[in-house]
Amino acid sequence: MPIRFEKVSHVYSDGTPFRYVALEDVDLEIREGAFTAVIGQTGSGKSTLVQHLNALLLPSSGTVYVMDRQIIAGTEPKKLKSLRKDVGLVFQFPEYQLFEETVLKDVAFGPKNFGASPEEANKLAREALRKTGLDETFEERSPLELSGGQKRRVAIAGILAMKPKVLVLDEPTAGLDPAGAKKMMELFASLHKEGTTVIMVTHDMEQVFRYCEEVIVMENGKPKIQTDIKTFFRDSSLCRELNILPPALIRMKDALREKGYTVSDDTVDIKTLAKEIARQVKSHG
Amino acid sequence: MDNITLGRYIPLDSPVHRLDPRAKIGAMLLMLIAIFIPAGWIGYAIIFAVVTFMVFLSKLSFTYIWKSMKPMLFMLVFLLIINVLVVHTGTVWLELGPIKVYSDAVIQTLYIVVRLLLMIMITTCLTATTKPLDMTLGIEDLLQPFEKIGVPSHEIAMLISIALRFIPDLIDETGRIMKAQESRGVDLKEGKLNEKIMAILSLIVPLFVSAFQRAEDLANAMEARGYQPGVRRTRYKVLKLKGPDYLLLAGAVLVLACMIWLAYFK
Repeated sequence: MPIRFEKVSHVYSDGTPFRYVALEDVDLEIREGAFTAVIGQTGSGKSTLVQHLNALLLPSSGTVYVMDRQIIAGTEPKKLKSLRKDVGLVFQFPEYQLFEETVLKDVAFGPKNFGASPEEANKLAREALRKTGLDETFEERSPLELSGGQKRRVAIAGILAMKPKVLVLDEPTAGLDPAGAKKMMELFASLHKEGTTVIMVTHDMEQVFRYCEEVIVMENGKPKIQTDIKTFFRDSSLCRELNILPPALIRMKDALREKGYTVSDDTVDIKTLAKEIARQVKSHG
Repeated sequence: MDNITLGRYIPLDSPVHRLDPRAKIGAMLLMLIAIFIPAGWIGYAIIFAVVTFMVFLSKLSFTYIWKSMKPMLFMLVFLLIINVLVVHTGTVWLELGPIKVYSDAVIQTLYIVVRLLLMIMITTCLTATTKPLDMTLGIEDLLQPFEKIGVPSHEIAMLISIALRFIPDLIDETGRIMKAQESRGVDLKEGKLNEKIMAILSLIVPLFVSAFQRAEDLANAMEARGYQPGVRRTRYKVLKLKGPDYLLLAGAVLVLACMIWLAYFK
């Protein structure tokens, strides 16, 4: 079951002088099992959009279809709890949500809320912690005394322990060091391979290029472009048009094309590109 | 959070908004003293007329003032009950079984009601027309003379303005943490008692952690910019009393004098 937005609008503080339209008549569909990037400038409605996925925000008008649930504007959503279990939402800087005495307890908090027994919850928590690369020495430590990166991993483990079928990430690597960010992205890629639908809000085009399959570009509360990565990054023209700095490899390809080399659209890594160029240089003699 | 009206600044452009905060705070204090002088009903009528005129001048709507008084209704009912039970002087007006309602009980309650009403009107006139930052500037200036006896006026003003500055931030933060915990299956509305305690805990602990974090960040930022408590500093915004400010203070003094005359010399 795909995720579908039908004429969804969201208005903040309606009926007051602070009225603000964050989403306007959004129609879009997100394929099940895809790794989708949501990009766009600050204030374009990205975060508002993703918060509709687990009914934290309800549409002011229109309907959101998530898995087999419908969230219709003006009605109390049913089966809210099971929806929140199936759609795991990781907020920006999720380390602020930690509160328990120990790491294990904090990660097990989610599963427990969704009705898992304490043993089950602990098992799920341990699994999730291993996935995020935290070994058993962390389990009994206080989450508040960990480093920033470790806190982030505990917080993300807290969502993964719920075993969500759809994982929604709002700038999950913001503020992490490059090595930590890479590890994090690889974790999401492996979850995606296992069949989880991943939706990620990000500003990092390198990440979009490397890990994602689909892109949604938001602008002024509306999806401006929705396409697959290959089309999006065929060359840098689309990025330039949107005022986005294209990934380094795409810029490289553009520069090479300008110099008269032929570069395939399918080349997505630096090694293949190097080989391609080497071949052409050699044949020229 | 939208129904808290008491003490909120209402951005309007009126003669009262433009007055110096020191004059307004001073006038408010004088008027509050005037209320507590037993000048009888004539006195209250005069104060009421003056305050109504001020509310009118400040362009505040009377429904707004009424709204900020609503939370007091419960207190008034409570007061009436206590007074009826305790006060046994004057003539009996009403007999409800074993309970006798004396005239003084009702009159005393009425006095308190009127005093409270006037106090709320006066303080609302101040808080609704003065920006929080201007208010702290005013408080700082008014506390200045007490520095000789060791009152840290600048620090007090700084404390107040920092506290006011962080209120909207903490409200936002609460919203964010609520959403994050709701995503983890916390139900803040329903649930058994122990679940509810857990839900509130999951909100309060992160809120405290981030409030302390913010405090530390702010302290560092202030220190990095050379902030030193207790050192004399110049100000960007210099308060200066003008004609209307003196008029306001003179008016307040006149009202106070009038009350004293009514109460003691007539």
